Amino acid sequence: MSAAISVENLFASYGGKTVLNDVSFSIPRGASFALLGPNGAGKTTLVSILCTLRLPDRGRAQIAGIDVVRQPAKARETIGVVFQDSSLDDRLSAWENLEFHGLVHGLAPKVRHARAEAVLALVELEDWADEIVRNFSGGMRRRLEIARALMHEPTILFLDEPTVGLDPQTRQRIWSYLDRLRRERNLTVLTTTHYIEEVETADQVCVIDHGSIIAQGTPGELKAAHGSRWLHIVPRDETTATEIEIAYPQAQRLGANLALPVASEEMADAFLAAYRNRLEEIRFQEPSLESVFLSLTGRELRDRADGQRDAQRSSGRRGGQR
Amino acid sequence: MNRAVILFRGVYGVWLREITRATRDRGQMIGGISRPLIWLLVLGVGLNPYFRGEVFGEVKYVIPFTYLQFLFPAVIVLNIMYTSIQFAVSVIWDREFGFLREVLVSPMPRSLILLGKVLGGSTVAMIHGGLVLILARFADVTLDLDQMAMALGLMFVLSFGLTCFGVVLASRVRSFEGFGVFSNTVILPLYFTSSSIFPLDPTLSRTQTATAYPEWLVFMVQINPITYAVDALRGTIIGFNQFPAWYGPAVIFAMAAIFFVWALIGFRRQ
Repeated sequence: MSAAISVENLFASYGGKTVLNDVSFSIPRGASFALLGPNGAGKTTLVSILCTLRLPDRGRAQIAGIDVVRQPAKARETIGVVFQDSSLDDRLSAWENLEFHGLVHGLAPKVRHARAEAVLALVELEDWADEIVRNFSGGMRRRLEIARALMHEPTILFLDEPTVGLDPQTRQRIWSYLDRLRRERNLTVLTTTHYIEEVETADQVCVIDHGSIIAQGTPGELKAAHGSRWLHIVPRDETTATEIEIAYPQAQRLGANLALPVASEEMADAFLAAYRNRLEEIRFQEPSLESVFLSLTGRELRDRADGQRDAQRSSGRRGGQR
Repeated sequence: MNRAVILFRGVYGVWLREITRATRDRGQMIGGISRPLIWLLVLGVGLNPYFRGEVFGEVKYVIPFTYLQFLFPAVIVLNIMYTSIQFAVSVIWDREFGFLREVLVSPMPRSLILLGKVLGGSTVAMIHGGLVLILARFADVTLDLDQMAMALGLMFVLSFGLTCFGVVLASRVRSFEGFGVFSNTVILPLYFTSSSIFPLDPTLSRTQTATAYPEWLVFMVQINPITYAVDALRGTIIGFNQFPAWYGPAVIFAMAAIFFVWALIGFRRQ
């Protein structure tokens, strides 16, 4: 049996700028695969190519053995997609959105009805079936979109940043649906995210940055291969920072902070002995996917403050609407 | 399962969505009702007495109809034009708010997606044109069933062509801002130069017409396809044609075909 998704030497560019640079990977059926990378790494472009919305410059991409460039219509029959930003019609009710999806996928009336009820129950929106989507909160819209993507029973599900801008409870809930679905239906799930904690449970993680895959493996493998212990410090002043950078060329600059890979306990002790009095903050980071990303790219995956602002904004919007 | 059934369901789904959305768009509905009222009640009634000439004390209409009768078919076309071209907004909305992708990742062929969408838009536009027919009695226009069916048929094909024109416009416009102004600058000049509110007196010869009206205006009227759409509806509804009777339907069908192909070429690129 062919792989659920297989990508070979994929290249794509946008306005002369390379967005995907020689990307290759293969995902077995029933696996959960996470594409991890900062905003602008090329994740959305990759998903767009896989769900036949744009063409690659070069290379091959197959969905369940079907070439997405040569047979896009056939490939579309096997996929379900949840886009990064909502693609619901917010002037229709939840039920009408599902009915529409069933119709364009050619489902018979009885099948449409039964499946719409089933997927609504799955995401616990049965009571909201006749409500116009415009009145839904961000989390409800997301759940409805996931429900809709499952209505035609795809074997492969693409989720582009499915939990961005949602509060932690909703994120948790969405992940528990997805896990259940994967177990029950042997669904292959490809998720893109920049929330590192969400990929810890994935079977396979692929770290992508500037359009290239820089590491691939199970979360455990990645941590073993690239994860080191990091020492994060906030120097008291710029002179100290410069001094540390000269003494430890392996240090990474993260804004006002510095991060030092901890090679050994002795190295950490020696460092602290020398600079303890000139630091405002000291923090050790145990090996995690976050530190893997830092080791691979020399950057932190995301601006944490930015993520928090997103969550706040979305809850504020919901408050205003309800 | 039969592939034709599956594809038909898709077209029906896209069509149904347009209809559902139109019934919830109160602004468009109000426009569709108030526009003919203003044009017929204010402009039509106001100019009605002046649409005639006095020759040796005998009152004669310039053409053998009252102004209200003359204007009535043109107001139908106006209502269709507004609704059809405003349809571009729905196309831009789909594209900018992401709904388009939901349809594009479905197995439906692009051409049928567009067909369903345009059929939906033209159904709504035809209904808006049909609203004007309710005022027929008031404008002293009587229609038998044959005329009614014929008129609705022409209205539908006209709506289809203009809706496709709206889709073509949409593929060139990036945002909603100013589309209202933009559509007015397209619709009103086309409407005013379609011999909708004044006749080109058919009893006059070409030279005489040129003395009555400036040459450029006659030229504008003659190259404007809407002129022939109005003429076709006038021929059907009040039995008055300013051009050979087959011109109108021919132009309406040609517009539908050309604009659909044009719209399809633009839509495929997305």
